[in-house]
Amino acid sequence: MVIDLSSFYNVPRQMDKFFDELWKPSMISQRRHAYPPVNISEDTGKIYIYSEMPGIQIEDVDITLTDGSLVIKGNRKHDTGNYYRQERPAGLFQRVINLNVPVDADKVKARMKDGILEIIIPKAEEAKPKKVSIEAE
Amino acid sequence: MANEVQRKEAHKLPRFSPSTDIIEKEDGFHIYMDMPGVAREQLNINLQDTDLEISAQAEFPKLKNASNIHMEFGDCEYVRSFTISDVVDRENIKATMKNGVLELYLPKADKARPRKIEIEAG
Repeated sequence: MVIDLSSFYNVPRQMDKFFDELWKPSMISQRRHAYPPVNISEDTGKIYIYSEMPGIQIEDVDITLTDGSLVIKGNRKHDTGNYYRQERPAGLFQRVINLNVPVDADKVKARMKDGILEIIIPKAEEAKPKKVSIEAE
Repeated sequence: MANEVQRKEAHKLPRFSPSTDIIEKEDGFHIYMDMPGVAREQLNINLQDTDLEISAQAEFPKLKNASNIHMEFGDCEYVRSFTISDVVDRENIKATMKNGVLELYLPKADKARPRKIEIEAG
């Protein structure tokens, strides 16, 4: 990081921004405690979301797309019996993913394979990058 | 030395001990292990005397021409081993893999099953 002390740059604000980024809640709280873990990728036309949820049927997962965010909800049930060891998480879970681009809500696809949930969300036409042609004079 | 280097290269993937539930029921023991991303072919179960070792590799779909925005999990290796007591009928252990969860069923040996004792009227 380059610190320029000339008046052109607003140094105190840059410093604040730097420290704010260090302490972003997403770096601390989300990674450790959020369940289930998700991976998010995108290309020019689609957003891909993968989430680890072993032992859950696709029917037991509730996926809702509201204005600007995707909510994944579900319930992990556990067996009855005499437990010697219990490490697998059980109970209700929810995860909210913010989508910063307009999406095509009617064409969202979701499937489950080997305990991985895959959600593919196509971006809306207006969010796709367009090439602007420049005419030479 | 050369052996050691080779071994390190073979285990490049991060290793995890999968979350496990062990439940005793009337018919035997049930072990559930969370192994998301593991297909049946990538799973190895070895039983040697009293040691049961489970290892698997998880691979996640890779996308071409897509950029990763946020990552919380990735390719990894699951390894875990258990010691099995004499109570278990070792010949009849069953394993099923479904939806990323491995279920091992370890039936109790006949001699360990609870038995009802008849009382004779005297």
